[in-house]
This record gives sequence, structure tokens and C-alpha cells, in this order.
Amino acid sequence: MRERAPRTLALVCAVVGALFATPLVYLAWRTLTGDEALGELYTSRATLEPLRNTLGLAAATALSTSVVGTGLAWLVTRTDVPLRRLWTALAALPLVFPSFVGALALTAAVSPGGLLDAPLGWIGLDAVRPEGFWGAWLVLTLFTTPYVLLPVAARLAALPPSLEESARLLGRQPAAVFRTVVLPQVRGAIGAGALLVFLYALSDFGVVVLLRYDTLTRAIYTNRALDRDQSVALSLLLAALAVGVVAFERAVARRHPAAQGARSTRPLQVPLGRWRWPALAAVAGWVVVALGGPLASLGVWAWRGLTGETSSLAGGDAGLGDLVAPALNTVGISLVTAVVAVAALLPLAYLTARYRARAGDLANGLVASGFALPGLVIALAVVFWSLQLPEAWGLYQSFTMLVFAYVVHMGAQSLRAAQVAVASVPRRLDESARMLGAGRTRRFATIELPLMLPGLAAGGGLVLLSTMKELPITLLTAPSGFETLTRRIWADVEAAFLAEAALASLVLVALSGVLTWVLVVRRSERLA
Amino acid sequence: MASLSRVTKRWTMLGAVAAVTLVVPALVGCTTDDGERLVVYSGRTENLVGPLLKEFSEESGVAIDVRYGDSADLALLIDEEGDRTPADVFISQSPGAVGYLDAAGRLSTLPDGIVERVPEGDAAADSGWVGLSGRVRTLVYNTDIVDPADLPESVLDLTAPEYAGDVALAPTNGSFQDFVTVLRHELGDDEARAWLDGMAAGDPPTFDNNTAIVEAVSRGEVPMGLVNHYYAFRARAEDPDLPVENHFFPDGDYGSTLLVTAASIVEDTDARDDAEALVEFLLSNEAQEFFSDETFEYPLAGDAQPNEELPSFDDISKTRVDLDELGGGLELTTEMIDESGLNR
Repeated sequence: MRERAPRTLALVCAVVGALFATPLVYLAWRTLTGDEALGELYTSRATLEPLRNTLGLAAATALSTSVVGTGLAWLVTRTDVPLRRLWTALAALPLVFPSFVGALALTAAVSPGGLLDAPLGWIGLDAVRPEGFWGAWLVLTLFTTPYVLLPVAARLAALPPSLEESARLLGRQPAAVFRTVVLPQVRGAIGAGALLVFLYALSDFGVVVLLRYDTLTRAIYTNRALDRDQSVALSLLLAALAVGVVAFERAVARRHPAAQGARSTRPLQVPLGRWRWPALAAVAGWVVVALGGPLASLGVWAWRGLTGETSSLAGGDAGLGDLVAPALNTVGISLVTAVVAVAALLPLAYLTARYRARAGDLANGLVASGFALPGLVIALAVVFWSLQLPEAWGLYQSFTMLVFAYVVHMGAQSLRAAQVAVASVPRRLDESARMLGAGRTRRFATIELPLMLPGLAAGGGLVLLSTMKELPITLLTAPSGFETLTRRIWADVEAAFLAEAALASLVLVALSGVLTWVLVVRRSERLA
Repeated sequence: MASLSRVTKRWTMLGAVAAVTLVVPALVGCTTDDGERLVVYSGRTENLVGPLLKEFSEESGVAIDVRYGDSADLALLIDEEGDRTPADVFISQSPGAVGYLDAAGRLSTLPDGIVERVPEGDAAADSGWVGLSGRVRTLVYNTDIVDPADLPESVLDLTAPEYAGDVALAPTNGSFQDFVTVLRHELGDDEARAWLDGMAAGDPPTFDNNTAIVEAVSRGEVPMGLVNHYYAFRARAEDPDLPVENHFFPDGDYGSTLLVTAASIVEDTDARDDAEALVEFLLSNEAQEFFSDETFEYPLAGDAQPNEELPSFDDISKTRVDLDELGGGLELTTEMIDESGLNR
């Protein structure tokens, strides 16, 4: 069956796994030295009810994003729906709204008296303020669908069209082709995306706090200063949950290995026929709500500030000029984080996708736990560990520490995409090259890396977008004076300078749009 | 075609490698140099305190590094950093966060000369922190929907049937909790509980924070809401046409309780003199007038007068509860709010 892993690879992965375990070890240590009665806490209603809510919300969101994300990905990569490249870029963007501002803006748009109140009425819908389970589920689904959309689109772009063509020539309808031919081949990518959505829903507290749904993260957040020990013990539970879920997912994924496939020479387009316009309406409708909803509110707030006489934006105290440095910082640090994350996790992707290694699964779970923990917990853990190092190294509140914390929190997003990419490289190519005498490095650089690039870019793109919107880690661990867009947006929302917050948010979305286009959309198409 | 795409790929790879090799060392070299600079951790955002810090730095020649963040998060950070904290001064948006650090023994005692500049009760009893500015609890309402003549004289009257379901609340928000703690302190737990139950009986719309409430009131989703006075002022500064107005409960009603923001000096500071100079500056007339004019807040020290659109000191509640003295205070308050069903 599978070969045993080369020793160097296993060693590198052990180091990576250990680094990703730092938050977990910190939480365990804090819990053990605290005076929380764990047995009692974990079986109390105060834990079990939020736990049930968390699991329900995460599962429901993973399910809904899988359906919507796969459908959108297929429409924009494999059909002749108009403007498909534009939709691909736009549909990825809701991911970049920091949840505290995205949820606020979306709420302002779809609530009674909001901007979309009247348009919703035209299509027979009542404006309702998103709240509780349904509100959190809806908002999370709208904002996290790109986690499924991007990897599935990348996978679809890399699939050979021959099977689909045969199926169509045999007279199958597009829907049947999709179900019987396409779906089995992208199952791995859907699973990867859904897992990310699940873990994201575990960790996010912006949405659940703002929409008032009682989950574990909300308990961690509201207790953080009131009952520190309890907050830490609940974080530990959340991390353990993530490790368990990922171990389970790996076991399932192993039983159904992903289909291998080379890049197609040309992308296949399914003609939708009379379904072309309804399909366009579906894609556009999704983008209008998920992206247009928040943007509408943000646009109005920014416009108010720019045209009003009394706001500080109109007074010239603050404006676009002030956002240049934060924008450059945001892009710079996020690119570095994305590249470091992809590079750091590629070995682990190889180990888990290629070789027989139980330790790989453990490392996998540890990486996932970093993503499932709230950023605040990661930040405090990294602070703790950095302070154990000699002061003379000057690492505390340095960029090294910041990027490390980002990678620990975001890395999981590139790992699953990388695993899918590694698994889809046909082994026979590698074997042929080896027989022709190509060395390992050369085989990697000339055969495997080019084949994996669309997948790696998609994973790196996810890290990039989520680093751009990251807040608590940036606030607590960045070098002092390091201003990012999200930090600026947070300060403005906090002090209710909505015009400034909106302007900075629009810049953030525009920047993300450009980066998504250049790095993910254009790339995955060209390399397809 | 094939060769072209290979060239592009190679360039992209090179670019990525170059970016990492160039940027990482440049970033790594940039670390915080504590010792010569005064380090401020501020739970008040830059809009609300940044100009003052800049002013102090220019006047005194002391270089300042500021780390802005959520007050509670920064308090956790200082606690985690312990004796290696770079922070010298901690500015908090609420008494809760400074109270947490004070209880953990992370704050140093402020000199009497500083604490005595604010009225008694606007500083910690143990001189761990001093109040900087104040926000008053108020009832924000939509002027298109609500006739001001129909508004009650006391916050306690909001439980009347005519207001049922019309008053938005933020049951998990620190300011609302502080207000409930004041009620408990002044009226006793039974009456405070009765008020909470009375509000809950009307099944009021609930929100996470003040900004969200004022936003909902301004677009007319809810007629009114219990918030801090700052937010309606801010909203109208953004757009003077917004139909939002504060109703201040008159005659020192509990509904117009003053909640203070605070400054403190970290126990393990290595720049005590500069830190004290900064806190003194924040209590100077110049700084207090900034709070009054620019952030619409109540000044606490010196001759500075409240913004003329605000009720005078005589009209707001005289009650001062030592809100940082948690000793189960806040925990009991949150429990009581949970039990009332407002959090559901």
C-alpha cells in the first residue's frame, strides 16, 4: 500500500506540528494551574448548551456552504454563464469582511428600515434583523462560502474534461453530468472547504456576539476577564473538539482517496442553454446579498461622511491619504503570511497525502486546532511562549512573532488545499520522471509544483484574505505603531466613526478584490 | 504557449521567494525598544485619545508608543506579560478592565496629588486608577416616531405597559451591566431584579452594543434604546439629519448615571516619572477640554465644563458605585440579567 515516510520529511513535520501545538499546550497548562473544576464545568448547563449551539451552527453552516459553494464553483468554472471570471472574483470577496463590521453592515442593510428593506419587499420578502441561530447561520453562510467555492473551483479547473465530454456525448443533461461525473471528482475539495467552514464557525466570535447567539466562543469571550479560568477551560474544550473533528475527517477522507488527475489542456464549458439566464440570476443574486448587502451600507456611511459638513472625513482630518500606509502594511504582512503558511505546511501535506503516518494525522489535528481557536486565545498563547524566550532575542512584539501567530491561526486554510493538490498529482508522472533519472528536487520543481500551483494558490489565497481581516492577533502582538486596515476599521467602529470605518472597509474590499483576481482567479484559469 | 506560461511561472516563483527573503529580515529588525520610550496600552481608540498623546509627546519631549485595543483584551495582555510588560500606562474605556488589573496586583498606587484632582468616587478607593472622562446613561429615541412629551421622568418607569417592547437593550454590554450594578447598589437586589423582570416582560429587542442600538433607532426599527449619551452625538456628527436624540432622565435619576473612563500606571513600569506626567497631563484643563469639546464627554478634573448640549453636573445622577470593586458584584449582576430572561 502506502510507503513509509522519508525520515527528513517526518522530522520536519514533527517540528511543524509542535509549533502548531503551542496554543494547546498553553491552554492545558493554564487549565491545570487554574482552579476550575473541569468535570463539573464540562458537564454543566453553562457548557453543554453553548457546546450544542456551537456544533449545530458549525454543522449547519458547513452543509449550506457546501451546497452553495459547489454550485457556484461549477457555474463559474464549467459553464457558459455570462461574466464568469468576474463572478469568481466577486464571490470570493465576502470572506474579507471582518465579522464585526461585515455583520453590522449586513444587519443595517437587511433589517427593517434598512437599505434593502424596499427591494426585498418587491420580491415578496420581509426585512428581518438577523439574530440568534438563523441570523448567525445566514451571515456565516454568506461570509464563508468562499472557503468551499475557491478550492472546488480550483479543482474543477484542473480536472480533465474527457469524462464529462463523454457523458455529454452520450446524451446526459448538464445536471446529470454534474451529479454522476463531476461531483465524485470534487468530493475531496468540497470536504476540505466544508471542514474549514466548520472550524471557522467554531472560532468566530464576531458574528455570534453581534447577533447574540450563545456559543462556546461567546462564553469564552464574555468570561475572558470575568472568570479567566473558565474562559481558558472552555477554549481547551474547543481545541480538543477541533482535533477530534479533524481526526474523524482524515479517517473518512482516507477511506475515499481523492481522484488523481492532470491539468486539462483546455477548460470545458457546459452550454446551459435556456438555463443560462436563470443561472446568471442565481450567481448574481448571491453576490448581491453576500457582497452587495454589506457594501451598500458601507457605501452609504462613507458617502454620508464625505458629503456631510460636520464629519471628520469632510473636514479633511482623515481621508484616503491616511489609508495608504495601513493598506500597504496589510497587503505586505498578509502576503508574507500566506507564503510562509503555504511553505510551512507543504511538507505536512505530502506526509499526510502520500505516506502512511499516524503522526501526520495528529499534526493535522494540531494545525486545525489553531484555526478553530479564537484569535484572542492564539494571541495570548503566543505572548506567553514569546515571554519564555530570552528578552535579548528581541522577539517580543516583533514581526516574526506576528507572522508566527498569524500562521498558527491561519495555516490550516492552506493545509487542506495543499493536501488536495498533492493528492491530485498523478504518481505515474513522478515515477516516469524518476525512471528517467530526474532527482527529487528537479522532479518537485518541474513536475509536481506546477501541477499543484492552482491548489496551493487557492489555499494561499484563503490565508491571504483571512490575514487581511484579522484583528485580535494584530492588536495584541504586532509591533507598536504597526497600523493595518482592519485595526483602523475596528477603532472607527468602536468609537462609532462609521464614515471612516466604511471608507477603510471599502479600501480593504477593493484591495482584496484585486489580489483575489491576480493571485487566485487569473492564476487558476491560466494554469488550468 | 507552453514556454510562455513556464516563464511566467518561474517569474512568479522568483517573485515569491524574493518577497519573503527581502521582507522578512526587514520586518524582523523592527522590534519594540522599551526603556527609553513611554509605552501606553490604550483601550480608548485613537480618535478618542490619540491627539492628546501626541500633544503630550510634543510638549514634554517624551516619545510615546501606543498599543490600541479592547480594554478587557489589553488588561488580559498586561496580566499575561506580568513583570515583563512593556506597558507603563494603561488607559481603559471602563472601570471593569482597570478593576481587573487592580485586583490582580498589576497596577501601582497613584500619588494623592493626581487622585485628588477628580471628585471622590471618580477614582479607585485604593488609588489604583483615576477617572479621565465620563459618559452618561441615557435613552436614545427616534424623533420621527417618538414624541418627547411621552418620555418618562425616570428610567424606572420604562417598565410601564406603554413602553413594552419599544426600548432596545444591550444586556451583555458592560455599560448596561454597570448601570444594573448601580441599581442594585442603590435600590437593593429585589427592586433591581423587579426592574429587570419588568423590562423582560415586554420582550424588548436586544443588541450586542450601543452602536448597534443607535443604528437601529436611527433607521426606525426600534423607537428607543438605553445607551450611553456619546453615540447619538457621534451619529449626528456623521449625519446631522439622522432622527436620533438623547433623552436625559432629569433630577439626578439613576437613568443618568455617569460611567467613567480611567487611566492607571502599571506596577512594573520602568518610567514612573514620565507615566505620572502623562496621567497628570490627561487631567489638565487642556486635555479635559478636549474630552468636553471633541468627544462630547463629561470632563472630571479642573475647570473644564461639560459640552453645552449636555445636562449640567447637577442634573445627572450623583450616585457613584465603586464599579471596579468586583468582589462578585459584576458576576451577580450578570447572573441577575441572565435570570430575567433578557439574554434569551
